[in-house]
Amino acid sequence: MLSASEIRKVVEERNVHQKGTGKKVVDVREEMHRLEDKGELIVHRIRPENRPVEAKTLFGWTKRIPTDRLWHHKSCGQCGNIPGYPSSLLWLMNETGRTYLNEPHQTSCTAWNYHGTATSNPTALAAVAARNFHRAYETDHFPLIHCGTSYGDYKEMRKLLVENAAVRTKVREVLRKMGRDLVLPEEIVHYSEWVHAMTPEIVARQSRSVTGIVATVHEPCHYYKMVPEDAVYDDRVYAGQRPAVPSGILMSLGATVADYSTWYDCCGFGFRHILSEREFSRSFANLRKIRPMVEEAHADVAITSDTGCVTTLDKSQWIGKAHGLSYLLPVLSDVQFAALALGAHPYKIAQVHWHSASAEGLLEKMGIDWKSAKAEFQEYLRALQSGAAPELLHPAHGEIETFFAVNKGQVLPDEAPGAPVAGAGPDVRRGPRE
Amino acid sequence: MNPILVLGGGPAGLSAAGELAAIGAPTLLVERESYLGGNPVRWQYSLLAPDLHPAEDVMGPLLRRVEGSASIERRLGTTLVSAERSAKGYRVGLKNADTVETREVSAVILATGFDHFDSRRKFEYGYGRYPDVLDFKEVEKMLHEDRIVRPSDGQPPKRIAWILCVGSRDVQVGNPWCCRMGCVVSIKQAVEVRQKHPEIDAYVYYMDIRTYGLWEDLYWKSMQDHGVKFIRGRIGQVTLAEGGSRLLATGEDTILSRPTEVPFDMIILASGMEPSAGTRDVASLFGLPVGPEGFLTPRESDLNPVDSGIPGLFLAGAATGPKAIPDAVTEGMGAALRAYQYARD
Amino acid sequence: MSIVAYLPRRALSLAEEEAAAPPAFELTGRRKLSEAERTLAGQIFGEFRADPRHHEFVLGCINCGECTTGCPAARFYDFSPREMLQIALTGDATTLWDALQEKIWSCCQCYTCNMRCRFGNDIAGIISVMRELSVRHGVEATRKTLAPFGRSLTLLMTVGTQVSSDMIQPDFFRDWGPFATGSDKVWNVSADIMRKAIPSDVLQTTRSSWEVSVQTSLELFRIYEETGVLDMLRGLDPDLTEMLIDIIEERREEFSEARERFATELAGMKGTVATFSG
Repeated sequence: MLSASEIRKVVEERNVHQKGTGKKVVDVREEMHRLEDKGELIVHRIRPENRPVEAKTLFGWTKRIPTDRLWHHKSCGQCGNIPGYPSSLLWLMNETGRTYLNEPHQTSCTAWNYHGTATSNPTALAAVAARNFHRAYETDHFPLIHCGTSYGDYKEMRKLLVENAAVRTKVREVLRKMGRDLVLPEEIVHYSEWVHAMTPEIVARQSRSVTGIVATVHEPCHYYKMVPEDAVYDDRVYAGQRPAVPSGILMSLGATVADYSTWYDCCGFGFRHILSEREFSRSFANLRKIRPMVEEAHADVAITSDTGCVTTLDKSQWIGKAHGLSYLLPVLSDVQFAALALGAHPYKIAQVHWHSASAEGLLEKMGIDWKSAKAEFQEYLRALQSGAAPELLHPAHGEIETFFAVNKGQVLPDEAPGAPVAGAGPDVRRGPRE
Repeated sequence: MNPILVLGGGPAGLSAAGELAAIGAPTLLVERESYLGGNPVRWQYSLLAPDLHPAEDVMGPLLRRVEGSASIERRLGTTLVSAERSAKGYRVGLKNADTVETREVSAVILATGFDHFDSRRKFEYGYGRYPDVLDFKEVEKMLHEDRIVRPSDGQPPKRIAWILCVGSRDVQVGNPWCCRMGCVVSIKQAVEVRQKHPEIDAYVYYMDIRTYGLWEDLYWKSMQDHGVKFIRGRIGQVTLAEGGSRLLATGEDTILSRPTEVPFDMIILASGMEPSAGTRDVASLFGLPVGPEGFLTPRESDLNPVDSGIPGLFLAGAATGPKAIPDAVTEGMGAALRAYQYARD
Repeated sequence: MSIVAYLPRRALSLAEEEAAAPPAFELTGRRKLSEAERTLAGQIFGEFRADPRHHEFVLGCINCGECTTGCPAARFYDFSPREMLQIALTGDATTLWDALQEKIWSCCQCYTCNMRCRFGNDIAGIISVMRELSVRHGVEATRKTLAPFGRSLTLLMTVGTQVSSDMIQPDFFRDWGPFATGSDKVWNVSADIMRKAIPSDVLQTTRSSWEVSVQTSLELFRIYEETGVLDMLRGLDPDLTEMLIDIIEERREEFSEARERFATELAGMKGTVATFSG
């Protein structure tokens, strides 16, 4: 196997050559800063309060991952189908002492719909992206993108907004009509990259051994195939030849990450297919993903780091028995798995009961007394039914926030000198560029 | 006359030095490796395409002519670290271990050559990860020693695939150019395997076969006489199959417009040609123009392909682009003539 | 001896006039288009070629097939990304029209082809452009394909999230099994209580993925109005579009009523909350 420095050299060379051809891959981040200097947009800076950690991307570029003071850009599929996904992430942030906002003032990226039905267009997608970026900016919290598709889409939209002056002008005009401005974050960060950056702190809090658990990783397509140059790779994970997330955290927690022949395949989600052509989705998920995971790798669990993938791989298995495929391999997100390893409640926090393929066998193998936990949860449900107040990971929002994206008071044009208005020259508060 | 510096001891450099010696010009041959012969010797090339001459039959005479010449001063394990214009030629610094020697030379021939593409950079094929995925330069040594076995278990393979254009014609790795040699060398290897071991099935996956000119004959014969099978379409990824005991190549048969998946015992990657480290170094040292691919560019590629456009600097071989050994040898001769004319005048 | 040398040279014996007028070939077997279809196909083709993304996404193709090797749709449908790219490259309106009937909707938008493409084409992207055009022009096959999306489109346009937990009804998602909704049948409590047991107030809703404030959804709708999405949707489903506009009008009224109701609290506030009018 190659040494870390050899691989880094290889990766850097790939970068040099790719740049040498002048095609497709240029670091849009550099151009973004130039546009800010011209007053065309505002770059939402990662500041020391965000406690950034550096990581390397496919071409050896440095990417800064903020770990604190984050604005949760939730995923519509996660929140709708697999709520243990976001709740485990919030729980991990509480455990590691990170602060965040989890607001009702966020739209989805709308890219699921775009990739499924095409009833939108790039200008609209770019405006949606910029709208959410601006909301994060005005609360002075750095956006953390939960969904792989949102992450990929936002990177495409960043590229579009940087490269296409007409789209930029149009989007700025639309945003101005709602009192907003064109903001792009310094980095577009997927939550799994936060997990990657936080690995030492997460592992330090591990309370349950996962040694002996065999995990197969499904790498979400939109994490690393869309704008591939920005995905995080690490020498220690598959010698830098596959993305570092989410395999890295599993290895660090002590699980065995097993290879299987169709690791590169998509899950079968298909955006459109999962809703209106599920015979495709379930065939693909069962035959191309779950079967090799079980039969080749003898996996105890499939781990992935995107919404659609958890949904498709999990929900497609139950019907498999109609064709003699009775695998029922538990499918969890990396953060659910990590939260369980840190002692999170399997039902109240990891919310495993929303999954079609039962995770209870896995819980047993992890040494979790799931029967008591289940009884506890049943009790809790009864209490809720009788009107008890729910247990929350963060303070509830007041009624006013049902209507208004209230200001949190952090960044306001007339409170901060050098008001951030695109088109009015550089933002003097941003501090020196690194 | 101060000596003419020939930088690089591969086929082009050897040819140039041998030619200079033949016309009586003093020659200083500098090679960064500890041996002469360049890539053919480094990787122990077996038979050379397309005529299936043993590499020794070609490299041997080139090497012996240089090694047996009194007018060629040889500096092995030596690199060029500085160069400045002097009255007529160049004052160069030659570094060997920790010692730097300064020499006056009357002209310089840059024959710094190419490096094979590092196939680890094409992650999709798992080279460096799966032991039975090999680079075709490693296979030369296997063929040379007639020991064709799977590195994973030492067993002879039953079915081998060659994948052409790995690190060539591919913007995903930053190399959009053609290496010119991958087709003919892969076909040659398949023929060599079939000649020695007719029980092994040989498949070549291709998007275009570029056995240009008279080389086409080998391509045709490989099918007609040796039963090499050609499948039009590329392999997109290699993974493990059958419990990890074999490799699974997934591709599209673009003739049938159908995805294919075939298990193989060995997969051989025809890695492309890139400017060598030495070529990149001399480009920055002399401020030479380089093309977008990083190869040196002659001033007039058609009229005077061995002239760099900078007085006293001449080019030969794969430093200016992918080249076969006969072309490199020819250019070595041309560069020798031009350099001698320059040094003499 | 060379193989080619075995063959005698072929002599050219065509009469001059015959060589000058080669026989005309015709493609056969293709479905005949109606006059209206032919006009629409031509119009779509023109717009397709004029879309700046065509130039940006489609660079060329050496037919290597690597795009297809990783394509999930190619395993289950009569579809290949290479074919889509070839269609994008050809100068033929009818070929494009044929692709719009069904093939473009096979694509999973996974982007594996893009990551594999040696030429650097954006194949998933050009398929999206084809899809957009067939939506905008209300191509009949596209209407049918997208018919099941009324509900998720309504949610998306009015709230901005694609799914809600109350969409995952056992009737529609029978194949997902009995546990997919964290369902009341298993736990013996209502779906509302199941959502209440999620430890974040913004997730405790069944009607959308998360609670979305009215201001946020109105901002989103403003984007749709300003960027032509609403007009595009009209091409696909005029009734749905009118319904969406009605819903948003109600929410706008609700928003301005709330502004009065919370006047005191809002008085001290700045930023978008102070300026956004709905």
